[in-house]
Amino acid sequence: MTDQRSDTFRRNLVALVPKLRRFALSLTGNMPDADDLVQAACEKALRNIAQFVPGTRMDSWMYRIVQTLWLDDRRKLKRRGASVDPDDVHLSDHGKAANLPEDRMMLAQTRAAMLDLPQGQREVLALVAIEGLSYREAAETLEVPVGTVMSRLSRARDALLPKLGLSQGKRQ
Amino acid sequence: MMRETTVDKALLAAFADGELSPEEAAAVVMHLADHPEDQAFVDDLMAANAALIRAFDAPMTAPVPPAILAAIDGPPVRAKVVALPKRRGLAWAAVALAASVGLAVVLFPAARPTGLTAGPVAQGQALHDALQSLPSGTTVPLTAGQDLTILATLPTTAGHCREVEVINRADRRLDVALACTAGDGWRVDVVLSEPLPEATPDQGFVPAGGIETEALTLWLDRLGAGMALDAATEAAMIARGWAR
Repeated sequence: MTDQRSDTFRRNLVALVPKLRRFALSLTGNMPDADDLVQAACEKALRNIAQFVPGTRMDSWMYRIVQTLWLDDRRKLKRRGASVDPDDVHLSDHGKAANLPEDRMMLAQTRAAMLDLPQGQREVLALVAIEGLSYREAAETLEVPVGTVMSRLSRARDALLPKLGLSQGKRQ
Repeated sequence: MMRETTVDKALLAAFADGELSPEEAAAVVMHLADHPEDQAFVDDLMAANAALIRAFDAPMTAPVPPAILAAIDGPPVRAKVVALPKRRGLAWAAVALAASVGLAVVLFPAARPTGLTAGPVAQGQALHDALQSLPSGTTVPLTAGQDLTILATLPTTAGHCREVEVINRADRRLDVALACTAGDGWRVDVVLSEPLPEATPDQGFVPAGGIETEALTLWLDRLGAGMALDAATEAAMIARGWAR
């Protein structure tokens, strides 16, 4: 590993942080946990920098690290018999929701609905709908077949759309 | 009811997600024209995608937390990196800094006074009258060559803030300010100025550009601002004299 390559990697990693935080936020549902996750992912990436193949997509590689660390955390929580189910930790709005206009309510509902999704569906929806990855890129990131991405997306949307007050056309 | 179903949900989802080739997408567009129920489904998918992006968008405009920067690398340049739009790097960095330490900020100080300066707004000032009673989207002349428009009203944890735009044609300058209720009156929290774009029409307000949608977001987030009030709610607040 040359210093120059390491510097380039670090610079690119800094540039990716906002997207990694957004992805982590959509998984964890709260910013402190998301930031812990991103920090741990950056540390892990730097420890394993030799495994990154230059010329391949660094964002997908980093999403993968964030996602695997998140899964590890969830497993640890379950083993410890945590009293708080991560799925129940919703974004706090400091009690403002009651007086907030419709639009912000919609965003709060969207966050809550996302956190109600099973882990696999949440990951796929985050990567495709929020991070803008193609189905193939999401499949490669998560190391699952493209068909799995599509079926998880479909089930995620079946659950999500009604909670957002969207009718799903009349196709059910 | 009989319905042609040569297009399934997965294909419509792929269309909404931008997965299709131009030819495939064109075929779906043709199909949607004759199948309103499928069009409604696609609309819903796109609305959900848009809601998801907005729901988790906060980190995209927030500074990178120091702990993460430190984890990536301590001392060199990176300590100053903030995730702000590049095209206005310097100005926005100044705003971010001011926002982080709670200072009001004025960029490119006015060559001639507009009343848009940080601090309390005196009663009797044209700006005070506008803040107190002007509906959003309405433009009034402030002085010769200066037009004031209230862009929007936003609820905050402490009251309300109004986004104010002043076009100064003589100086070819555009000011955008955030004025918030303070006690019985108003206080200008932040003023941003930039040269008036060459293409700006001589009359009318300048469509919301970068200033208020990007830089002021930092302030609005700090103030716990909600989304803009609708016209009826705003009218009710004006009628009540902004009493809480």
